[in-house]
Amino acid sequence: MEGLAQDILNGLLLGGLYAVVAIGLSTIFGIVRLVNLAHGDLMILASYLSLFMVSALGVSPLLTLVAIMPIMFAVGYILQRFLLNRVLGEEMEPPLLVAFGVSIILQNLMLMTFTPDARSLMSNLSLMTFSLGRNLSVPVLYLINFFIALAVIAGQHYFLQNTYMGRGIRAASDDKYAAQLMGINTQNTYAVAMGIAIMTAGVAGVLVGMTFTFYPHSGPQYLIIAFGVVVIGGLGSMKGTFVGGLILALAQILGARVFGPGYQLLCGYVVLLIVLAVRPQGILGRG
Amino acid sequence: MTNRFTRIKWTILAALTVGLGTVPVWGSEYAMLFFMLFCIYLALAQMWNLLAGYSGLISLGQQSFVGLGGYTVAVLSSYYGINIWIGVVLGGLASVLLALLMSLFIFRMKGVYFAIGTWIFAEALLVWFSNWAYVKYGSGLFIKPTNDLSMEAIYYAAFVVGAGSVALVYMLLRSRLGLGLMAMRDDDQVSETLGVDVFRSKLYCFLISAFVTGITAGIFYVFQIFIQPYKAFAIDWTVKLVFMVIIGGIGTIEGPILGALIYIVLSQFLAEYFSVSMLILGAIAIVVILVAPKGIMGTLQEKLGFEILSPRRN
Repeated sequence: MEGLAQDILNGLLLGGLYAVVAIGLSTIFGIVRLVNLAHGDLMILASYLSLFMVSALGVSPLLTLVAIMPIMFAVGYILQRFLLNRVLGEEMEPPLLVAFGVSIILQNLMLMTFTPDARSLMSNLSLMTFSLGRNLSVPVLYLINFFIALAVIAGQHYFLQNTYMGRGIRAASDDKYAAQLMGINTQNTYAVAMGIAIMTAGVAGVLVGMTFTFYPHSGPQYLIIAFGVVVIGGLGSMKGTFVGGLILALAQILGARVFGPGYQLLCGYVVLLIVLAVRPQGILGRG
Repeated sequence: MTNRFTRIKWTILAALTVGLGTVPVWGSEYAMLFFMLFCIYLALAQMWNLLAGYSGLISLGQQSFVGLGGYTVAVLSSYYGINIWIGVVLGGLASVLLALLMSLFIFRMKGVYFAIGTWIFAEALLVWFSNWAYVKYGSGLFIKPTNDLSMEAIYYAAFVVGAGSVALVYMLLRSRLGLGLMAMRDDDQVSETLGVDVFRSKLYCFLISAFVTGITAGIFYVFQIFIQPYKAFAIDWTVKLVFMVIIGGIGTIEGPILGALIYIVLSQFLAEYFSVSMLILGAIAIVVILVAPKGIMGTLQEKLGFEILSPRRN
């Protein structure tokens, strides 16, 4: 039982990070019916942008969020407005494949620009912990990740529920033609939704970069984590995304404890496949 | 008129096939290598096309069968001294078994979920193989032929799967199964009402595709001599296949042929700059989806009303 409480605590905190990795993917699937296969690569792009700013300006990685968020919003907006909107239609395959192309282009551009070396966003937060009793300590960085994740999810929820644009986005998602009749520019609405989704991916990218090392090819790894969270929690459900993140992270960390660290990822995948086979709509999903 | 045209068409096709089949006789060593890789990618792309273009199954997990086919040959040849070609066929059968197992999970999913499910399965296999002592973890296995193996022998094997995959898809589409598949592609609910067993047709295609992919991968790894989980189960395999088929023309028999040729030429020219060639392929694929969603061959067929290998019976 040694360290079990510590593992559960780490798993829960990591779950928050996973939720913020997944929230953008879930949102955009819920609204635009698009599986953004480039989600992970856009996240890693934000990690590299942050690294560039940290080394150029010597600021803390968390501070770079101020610039990263608007930049990533613009990237998402442009991507949707000028590329993905053109292939949206009855079928889901063309946008899926365009996103796949974007993913490969981004990976190889990053590989050529930033070399294949492992990078990380170092800060004095990485090693700090504070203790809770004899055998339990909280890594400060994980705690920060967890609270930022909560803030991002709450912020996005507030935006979609309570602002005019947010209502427009939800209307366009419920019934595109009715929304157009009510005077909503759905092309613009989808682009704003993607901008917000990629902005959350940018936040996730900075947090992941501070917590783990990353490479130009790390994107798909986080894309799969995001899939896992979304599938376990149920698509388009905010609460589900959070719960999905916690379940996936706990499954990985407890799996690593029982079977050895090499099997950490495998345990996550197995839980995911079981959920898919037994309850394809996700644990909290409707239908 | 049509008769004469048909005769000329088949003569040219036969000449091309014979030409491809006899490369070791007339070609240089480089030509042999070039066309061997072409045949291998052609077979893999044709199988992805069978799934995505005709059965409506977008698989992002073809690398599961590539890896399993390769590892079957490696394990059987280096641990048990089994003849390499028997190993290749057994690799195909192992892939069919894996596909059956996968189908229990992922055939409940539709469209995009299917795509994600196949990919996650492949990632799980990657992690499993790289943590499995029996296959020496991530450091990989050598493939040891029991008897001397010439490059020519590997070439002919590759030719058989390359040309065979085209013939197989052609015959499949002209069979009862193919007729059902095309009806499903156009409207799966109506075709189900008319008596097409949608689930079973899709499953057959999935199993056939797994079998051919497994065998082809086995041949590829006989040529490579060495297999590692991070390469064999990498998503890169499917990335290449998707690009080839989309550029050539999804849902056409000729599309994968052209796509594989374009890929091989590009990768040979840019052999030292793998990233650049992937970048160019990705960009071409996006442009093709935007401008000509049916790919090069599909668009040509539409414009000229001309098919080289028509799945329709006249």
